[in-house]
Amino acid sequence: MVRLFALLLTMVALLQGTGSAEAHKVIASVFPSGPSIEGEVGFSNGVMAGNTLVEVLAPDGTKIDEITTDEDGFFVYTPSGDVDLRFRADLGAGHVAEAAFAINDLSNVAQANATSASSAKVAVVATTENAVPAITRAQEEIIASIVRDELRPLRREITAYKEKNDLQSILGGIGYIFGAFGIVYYLAARRLRAKAPEA
Amino acid sequence: MHIVDGALAPEVLIGGGGLAVAGLGLGLRKLPIDKIPATGVLSATFFVASLIHVPVGPSSVHLIMSGLAGLVLGWTAFPALFVGLLLQAIFFGFGGLTVLGVNTVNIAFPAVLAGLLFRGMVARVPPVPAAVLGGVAGAFSIALTTLFVAIALGLSGDAFIPAAKLVFFAHIPIMIVEGLVSAASVYLIAKVKPALLQPADPVEDFQMQAAVLRANQAEQTPNG
Repeated sequence: MVRLFALLLTMVALLQGTGSAEAHKVIASVFPSGPSIEGEVGFSNGVMAGNTLVEVLAPDGTKIDEITTDEDGFFVYTPSGDVDLRFRADLGAGHVAEAAFAINDLSNVAQANATSASSAKVAVVATTENAVPAITRAQEEIIASIVRDELRPLRREITAYKEKNDLQSILGGIGYIFGAFGIVYYLAARRLRAKAPEA
Repeated sequence: MHIVDGALAPEVLIGGGGLAVAGLGLGLRKLPIDKIPATGVLSATFFVASLIHVPVGPSSVHLIMSGLAGLVLGWTAFPALFVGLLLQAIFFGFGGLTVLGVNTVNIAFPAVLAGLLFRGMVARVPPVPAAVLGGVAGAFSIALTTLFVAIALGLSGDAFIPAAKLVFFAHIPIMIVEGLVSAASVYLIAKVKPALLQPADPVEDFQMQAAVLRANQAEQTPNG
C-alpha cells in the first residue's frame, strides 16, 4: 500500500514533469532611470517573473497604479506625483515581493541632470568662441541611455549578490543553533542536578 | 514553503503565533535531557537543508527535512524547527519575523504528525522497510505542509482550492527528493544508531526517576 502510494506519487510527478521556482525567494528591485523608475521582479534562482502584475502603492498603502512586467520580469514606471512609492508583486502561493522607492532619488537625479545640462550649456556658450564641440541635449540623452544599458547587468549582479548566502552566515547560523541548544542543555542539567543532590 | 511578510491577514498571523507558542510549550515540556543534542543537530540540519538546491528538470528545489525531524523528535520538532526558521529569517531572509508563527505551525505540525504516525512502525522494522517508511514520512509531511500553507492563504483571502492546488503541485518535486533523502537518512540511522528512532522509553524514564527518589531518600534518612 505504502509502496503503491510512493509509486503513484512518482508517476504523478513524472507526468507533471515541470520543475518549479515556487520554493524560492522572490526579489524585487527598483532603481531610478532618468524621469522613470525601472524595476525587476524575479525569483532568487534567476527565473524572472514575466507578465506579472505589479501594484504601485503610496506610503499609506493606497493603490496608485498598476503595471505589468514584460517577459523578463522587467518594468518601467513613470511617477506622476511627488510621493514615495512602494512596488508590490504577488506571485501567488504566499510569494509577495515588495520594493520601496524614495522619490527623492528620482527628482535629485532629474534635477542634477537639468543643472548639469544647463551649466554645461553655460560653459559651452562661454567657450563657443574657442570652437569646442558642444554636446547637444539629444546626444546627452543618448549617452545617458547607453550608460543605463551598460549598468543594467551590473545592477542585476549586485541584486543577485545581495541575495547570496555566504559560508560565514551559514556557519554562523549553525553556531547559534548549537550555542542555543548548549544553553538549553546546561539549564536542563542544572535542574536535574538540583533535583538529585550528589549522594 | 516559507510564506513571506505581508502575504497574510493579521488574524491569521496572530492565530498562527498562538498555535506556535502552544506547540513550542508542548515540545519543550516533552524534551528529555538526552534528546537535547539530537534536537540541536536536527535544527541545524533543517537550517542548512534549505540551502541545498537539488536540480529538478529546468529548475531546482531545496530540501526541507522536516519529516526526519518529526520522526526522530516527535513533539520536540516544534522547538527545533522554530529555531531553524528563526535563524533562516534573520540570516537569509526566508519568510520573515511576523510570519514566523504561521511558518512554524505550517512546517512543524506536519512533522509532528508524521512522527506520531510513522515513528512506532519505523522503530520496529528492519532498516530497509524503515527507510521506505521514513521516505513516506518525509513526503507526507511536505504534502501536509502544502495543505497548511494553502489553508493559511485561504484564510487570508485567496481562493482556497486554486491556492491549494498550486502549492501542492509546485511541491511535488520536493516531496520526491525529500522522500528519497529522508529514506537514506533513516536507513543510515537504523543501521548506525537505531536508538535514535525509539520513542522515549517509559522504563528508562522510571529508572531515572527512581534513582532521583532514592538519592532524595538517602539524604533524608539521617535526619529522621
